[in-house]
Amino acid sequence: MKLNNKILLSNVILTLVVFSFTSIGIYYLVNSTVYDELDNHLLQHKVDLIDQVQEDTSSLEMMNQLGTLGSYEWIEITKYDGSTPLNSNEFSTIDTLRNPAEELETNAYRQLTTTISVNDRYYTLKIYEEVAAWTHISRTILISILAGLAIWILLLYILNQLVLDRILTPFYNTVASLEKIADPSDLDESFPETTTYEINVLNRALNTMMQHIRSSFEDQKQFIQNASHELLTPLSIIRQKAEKILSIPELLDRSTIESVGQIQHTAVRLSRLSNALLLISRIENKQFELGERVDIPKVTEAVLEELDDFIRMKNLNITTSFAAPVVVKGNSELLHAAVYNIIQNAIKFSPEGATITISTRRDTEKPCFSVLDEGPGFPPEFIDAAFDRFKKPPPDAAGFNNNSPGLGLSIVQSICQMHHFDCRASNHPEKGAEVSIHF
Amino acid sequence: MRALIVEDEPLLIEDLEQCLLEEQFYVDSASRLQKATDLIAAEEYDLILLDLGLPDGDGTNLLKLVKKHHPDTAVIIITARGETEDKVRGLELGSDDYLAKPFPIAELRARIHAVLRRKFKINDNKVSGGPLSVNLDHMEVTIRDESIDVTETEYKMLRYLLLNKNKTITRIALAEHIWGNRIDDRFSLDFITSHMKNIRKKLSQAGADNLIETVYGVGYKLVPDETE
Repeated sequence: MKLNNKILLSNVILTLVVFSFTSIGIYYLVNSTVYDELDNHLLQHKVDLIDQVQEDTSSLEMMNQLGTLGSYEWIEITKYDGSTPLNSNEFSTIDTLRNPAEELETNAYRQLTTTISVNDRYYTLKIYEEVAAWTHISRTILISILAGLAIWILLLYILNQLVLDRILTPFYNTVASLEKIADPSDLDESFPETTTYEINVLNRALNTMMQHIRSSFEDQKQFIQNASHELLTPLSIIRQKAEKILSIPELLDRSTIESVGQIQHTAVRLSRLSNALLLISRIENKQFELGERVDIPKVTEAVLEELDDFIRMKNLNITTSFAAPVVVKGNSELLHAAVYNIIQNAIKFSPEGATITISTRRDTEKPCFSVLDEGPGFPPEFIDAAFDRFKKPPPDAAGFNNNSPGLGLSIVQSICQMHHFDCRASNHPEKGAEVSIHF
Repeated sequence: MRALIVEDEPLLIEDLEQCLLEEQFYVDSASRLQKATDLIAAEEYDLILLDLGLPDGDGTNLLKLVKKHHPDTAVIIITARGETEDKVRGLELGSDDYLAKPFPIAELRARIHAVLRRKFKINDNKVSGGPLSVNLDHMEVTIRDESIDVTETEYKMLRYLLLNKNKTITRIALAEHIWGNRIDDRFSLDFITSHMKNIRKKLSQAGADNLIETVYGVGYKLVPDETE
């Protein structure tokens, strides 16, 4: 989850929690205020009634008969029966019918039960007041407060988002440029200064680090390139001198010839290694044009032609199925080298008379080129490192020749990375290894 | 014929010189661009072996100069810059061939033959040694004028051995000549051995035994009996 969303979400959750507690509080507050008001009202009626009765004692009977004091209230006056204590005010809320003959549903009423004395005689006085009208008012108050709060939360969310986005923009810029970096040499401009202290610290630290990485990366690439280059002339001398000795073998004994042969062979291997490193560093230095349109099936045909000798000598069957036309944009020489390395590997590890299946297909819209052999497959502990430079399988692995420097597949990988293709190595469930490029 | 070697590494000049002398060239050599420029101003060469990376400048300038003043001179570039663009650029500028260091002298000899034949339109395109004769331009191999059937690889091997007759050719040099230097060497050397077995069988069927000697652990040598 993105940082700004996380902050917003936690903000919203916090506000909602506060909001619900506040709502409950407000509900109780409004309710108790309403009942207090009702009770005051009822007491006021009682005082009015007592005042009136003291003026004219005979009015008590008339009042009882009339019953109502207003449209929302009514009273009942009965002889005191001792069920309530004298001179006390008891409040309660009851559901009752005011007029059983006319009404169907009960309503909530606030009831004041008290006693009055008229001419030294005690009466029980019950005053009722309808609650419904008051609940209406309290509900309206509650709803308007809640609506206000909800609008406030919404506004807070929107404003927070705007403000957060604004504040976090430099941070996101930094994250975005970091995401884009596949290679230290990709990033040319440095991270900018901002007005936020923490982001400045972060950006400065990143700038310093990137600078270090970039320069050591450049040094390393330059070193590989120079070293490989400078090695070739002395290797050339060693090779030619060794060949010169070998060209007149009559003067030498057999062990000398063998030793010189090994010197020459090693010089050749060294120069291959040096060339392979040079190629990888040139790929990583992006010294190749990538604009050509390359027809992979055609390249494959050309490679098969080149390697035909080996295929025939080993009696291999080559099954090609180019189900999907794969024309990609890239460097034809490099893609040729990649296909060549993959197929050469497959031939090398195939037993006599085996089948190599070469196919192009579309895996979920992305075209893919795959070579499957019937050899021993990759040793399981090696498969994840198959593309790593100088990685070799353990010496006892079947069919592997430990004299090869282990650069073939890493050249394939460098080429694929440069083209933003994906190369994979896997073992077929039954037997053999599969190497594929996903374009 | 006259040849010029432009190369800054004295130990390499030695070998190149020897190879050219064996091929009946008069040889001059220059280890600096300046000296080479002076030499081509004074002399018309038939062949120039040119190293591009010289201490006092880029060899391609010299190549342009040669092509401008002596268009008939054959130029073979030899360089440690084995990069394809360099190769293409060299060939575009008019060089006749391109060899990436390190290369076997035998390969240079084969290239010189090919370049000179092309350049001077030599029609006699057969080389022979003893009973064996190989057409340099197309797949044609004869033993005492009897044609024998060979595969393309076998033809290339025989041609290479014959052009370098009486010289030991290492198996690596043969493999590189046929498949280029991209092929895995340990892997390709076994193939050279089995191709050689086939060649020997065919030569022996045609009545030319012992034409190719094995130099144990190293390679092969074609030793024609010149009395035939």
